Amino acid sequence: MNGENKHLTHDNPFLPEPARIVRTYYLTEDVKFFQVRIVDMEKALSFNYSPGQFGMISVLGAGDAPFSISSTPSRPGLLEFCIGKAGTVTNALFRMKENSLIGFRGPYGNGFPIEKMKDKDIIIIVGGLGAAPLRSVLLYCLDNRDQFRRVSLLHGAKKPAEMIFREEFFALKQREDLECHLSVDKDDTGKWTENIGVVTTLFSLLEKIDPVNTYALVCGPPVMYKFVIKELVNLNIPKDQILMTLERRMKCGIGKCGHCAIDYIYTCLDGPVFTYWDVIHMRELI
Amino acid sequence: MEKILTKKSFPLWVKELVSYKIYAPQKNGDLWNFETIKKPESINLDFPNTVLPPKNIIFPQREVLLEFESSNENKLQVKETLPDDDPTIIFGVRPCDAKALTLTDKVFSGDFKDPYYWKRRNSTVLIGLACNIPPSPNCFCLSVGGSPHSKEGLDILMTDLGDKYFVESLSEKGSTLINLAKPLFQQPKAADKKAVEKTQAEAEKKITRQIKDIKKIPSILKNMFDSPLWDEESLSCLRCGICTYLCPTCHCFDINDEVASSSPVKGKRVRTWDTCQFPDFTMHSSGHNPRPDRASRLRQRIFHKFQYFVERYQNYLCTGCGRCISKCPVGIDIIEVLDKVRDYGS
Repeated sequence: MNGENKHLTHDNPFLPEPARIVRTYYLTEDVKFFQVRIVDMEKALSFNYSPGQFGMISVLGAGDAPFSISSTPSRPGLLEFCIGKAGTVTNALFRMKENSLIGFRGPYGNGFPIEKMKDKDIIIIVGGLGAAPLRSVLLYCLDNRDQFRRVSLLHGAKKPAEMIFREEFFALKQREDLECHLSVDKDDTGKWTENIGVVTTLFSLLEKIDPVNTYALVCGPPVMYKFVIKELVNLNIPKDQILMTLERRMKCGIGKCGHCAIDYIYTCLDGPVFTYWDVIHMRELI
Repeated sequence: MEKILTKKSFPLWVKELVSYKIYAPQKNGDLWNFETIKKPESINLDFPNTVLPPKNIIFPQREVLLEFESSNENKLQVKETLPDDDPTIIFGVRPCDAKALTLTDKVFSGDFKDPYYWKRRNSTVLIGLACNIPPSPNCFCLSVGGSPHSKEGLDILMTDLGDKYFVESLSEKGSTLINLAKPLFQQPKAADKKAVEKTQAEAEKKITRQIKDIKKIPSILKNMFDSPLWDEESLSCLRCGICTYLCPTCHCFDINDEVASSSPVKGKRVRTWDTCQFPDFTMHSSGHNPRPDRASRLRQRIFHKFQYFVERYQNYLCTGCGRCISKCPVGIDIIEVLDKVRDYGS
């Protein structure tokens, strides 16, 4: 766990801290963007986290659930989430308007090993809602661009209407310090100008890489990992430099409730970022 | 501190402890369970194993974590509902159940301390009763590093010597209770100590069930993740979860909001025991379930107790109380399952 980032409600980790939804809008038909500010100004500004960490959002009355933080700690004060409509908590969240109050506790989990990734090449591979946690590390790398070598983004969505952060990612294509490849499995609009095919078809567009000095970051639906990992292993990227951020049902987020226990680890404490090496040795991880 | 307390004096000692909230095994119908005591003379320490271990006194089956109220967009009140820390005594704790609390202690500690658990835990004194006769035919504490007179996790251990108890204080909390009624306690004679040793040696001989070669189990399990054994052994499982609810070491829980009114929104956040034996325990909201069948859930229970917990905390997550064996409605027997695991490894 990331000990440097002090937890918001330290004496009682179960207590949610009041936070306000300052902005919310639909990213796709069933995915919504939430920008949130912790009400206590001092806490809002001092709150720190690492890309890849997550928090528990409470809609009091509906419950609380874990969500990746999609914003970057390099832009403090506001927290951003990208949330798909799925269960009780997300359904209640979708009904909430701007200016409503929610509860937040966190940050939890290990996050990406930023220190190790510095002065290395970074390839970020996104499938669908996998953008939620990976946007944080992508923006972090771009905000601290001089600390990393090549940065590449391979992004796959099912169809144009299901691509989240569409304008933001298209705008990134203009940057010369980022290699950005976008794809959709199927173009049902006839207007898609980028690659068509599953996310793995983007690997052929990637410029030649220096595998030993590369970190690959992957997040997407469970079915995606097998195919993406195969490509990364073929590129000779070491297994402990292939990083995945995984999801698991969670109730407490602090290593007690047992829901996210896999092998001898807890996803909420020892994850959600795992290496491919971990995945080989801990079955049930994906 | 070692003392002798006659059985006649026992209720007099309890009388001196009235400032504490006192729990002891009570018979209700045919079933024994830990309940609060009003009359000191009603404590009967001649009991078989209680249906539930005393874990629910420290970690209740249902407890309110917080209360919330939101009358409008600008108001959200969250009130923590920590338990009160009334000094509490539990009489008649079996050594296996006391040891189990030392294991759940590990889980509820760490970087995030659980304030609800620790508030009760720290205000409770555990007075154990050595098992001269195994309280259940399925007792196997000796196999998992315990014994019928183990002192682990206890503040006081009492051993029944016929018309008197041999009382051993094991902590400051324990000594305080003895000192509250000093005149009732006598100095033990050499013969008393001998009697205790004899009783204890005999008690160990009376335990018939055991997990053979348990030290080999964790490493054998490591290679058994994909074994067909889990399918075979779990076929009869009804997913009732009783093996985990009655287990003194199982500690998984769920958290849910209970709403009393929707406008203004008012309610409680409640935690309740949960179990890895229920199908939706690991079900994602997307419908994906990484542990989708009975086989993977039985495997999780066995692995957690005899492999994962050993790797994380260097202990088995089992103290050999035998409740999961005695109470399983379809006769799934953890000792028999582990016998098959051992056979698989040889």
